[in-house]
Amino acid sequence: MGSGGRFGVGTGNSGAYMTAIAEPIQFEEEIRSLIQARFDAPPVSGGSFTALLGLSANQAVGLLHEPGAGEVSTSAAGLGHPLGCSPIFPSNAALADRAPSFPFFTAADSPASISGGGPSPPLKAEPPDSDSSPSLPVPIEKPRRPAKRKDREKQKAKGPSKKIKTAEEHTEGDQLPYVHVRARRGQATDSHSLSERARREKINARMKLLQELVPGCSKITGTALVLDEIINHVQSLQRQVEFLSMRLAAVNPRIDFGGLDGFLMAECGPLAASNGRGGVSLDPASWSSAPAPGTGLRKDLRPSQQSSTAWVYPYALIDHATSLFGYGAADSVPLNWNQSKTDL
Amino acid sequence: MISPSASSASSSSKKKMKQAESKWRTAAQERIYRRRLLEALRSTASGAGPRAVKEAADSALALTARGQSQWSRAILLGRCRPRRKLLLKAGGKVRRGRRRPRPAAPVSVAVATGKKVRDRLRVLGRLVPGCRQLSAPSLLEEAADYVAALEMQVKAMRALADAFSAASLNAAAAGEAESRVV
Repeated sequence: MGSGGRFGVGTGNSGAYMTAIAEPIQFEEEIRSLIQARFDAPPVSGGSFTALLGLSANQAVGLLHEPGAGEVSTSAAGLGHPLGCSPIFPSNAALADRAPSFPFFTAADSPASISGGGPSPPLKAEPPDSDSSPSLPVPIEKPRRPAKRKDREKQKAKGPSKKIKTAEEHTEGDQLPYVHVRARRGQATDSHSLSERARREKINARMKLLQELVPGCSKITGTALVLDEIINHVQSLQRQVEFLSMRLAAVNPRIDFGGLDGFLMAECGPLAASNGRGGVSLDPASWSSAPAPGTGLRKDLRPSQQSSTAWVYPYALIDHATSLFGYGAADSVPLNWNQSKTDL
Repeated sequence: MISPSASSASSSSKKKMKQAESKWRTAAQERIYRRRLLEALRSTASGAGPRAVKEAADSALALTARGQSQWSRAILLGRCRPRRKLLLKAGGKVRRGRRRPRPAAPVSVAVATGKKVRDRLRVLGRLVPGCRQLSAPSLLEEAADYVAALEMQVKAMRALADAFSAASLNAAAAGEAESRVV
């Protein structure tokens, strides 16, 4: 196990390094100690796995190669240490699988972290940020500035006691000229980071809203991916609107609009049939029961055609511009028309 | 300025969350929109083409929004130019012209978001009508409202299209039956 001694990045338990590979928990503690040791060496490679370790790429490769090399050498020496990770750096999935959901991950760049984020709850000082675990990477932007990382480390270590309720609510209000933000325990209190944090809280709150709205987004972690989903959803909705408008355009010329008055409030079949004059039923139902309207309409089509000429829709009243003002009036007007029709 | 108490602030935030979702999900809103949709469809000339239908549907949707959201104002303003003044009064903070006073708005939050996120926010801004130069939080808010509105629109239009086609089938069948009898 001499290869373990080669690994000299300042760890105390390098001797246990090889065995640590086989045991995720110890290995993660190893990594954590590495991070705390390499605090002043911010990552340069844009949020990749090396960012996790806070090492330069070479060192990280060296780290990864250690077990591999160790494997090779020890196998030669007859140890045959069973290693899960391959010595090839790009396939860091093995390590990523073992790695905890480090807050330094920007999930946009390391999708492996999402899958690897699940295991390893026994980890100690990765308590989820008060911003909640699904959006754990979200509030932690690219940790390019060591100062910010230090802040978060401190906050992580001490366990964030959240005194920021007032700040959050205020920032969501979005209308206050003065935002009263209280710093969390252990966080930097200079005005820059405070206002930044307030802004971030705002954005995160809105993102959560959107996540609830768009189906299937609550499972996704990472702002960029969630935004991806949202964009896809919006595009698909707009495409659906286009297709439906095509359908409607194809059907439009053939239909006499008068016969469809029943659908304004459609409680379809039975009520429309009872209203033999094609009057509008005032029940607050929807068109969603599509088959029924078809059957109801058959009976309606004849009689309502006679009344459709009498049905002058109050276009003049519901002018596009004025309807914004006379909103209540515009709503009540069609009802008056309906009632007068049934009175006939 | 003294910040208000936490309770009032929390209620305002809750209100915002409620607004985005349930505002478009209520049956009343659906009814209102369907009425407007039918109106709009009637006012389009027969055989005008799917684009006119879509515009009518979008205008109806924006109307139902009552000009309270950025995208709805953008849609309405885009359609009827001579009525801008009225809509200005109704909608409130509608600015004239396309040039917004914050052209670099998406970038102002650049510090807090990565490049990918910024790109996607820009794409989202292009998708939502009238929200190109909006800051990230307002853009997200508008997007939430827009998504809810779109879902309601799709639902209503689908039901209408189904009813239409069912009606036309029935009319055709009835017509055939009549002609055969005669």
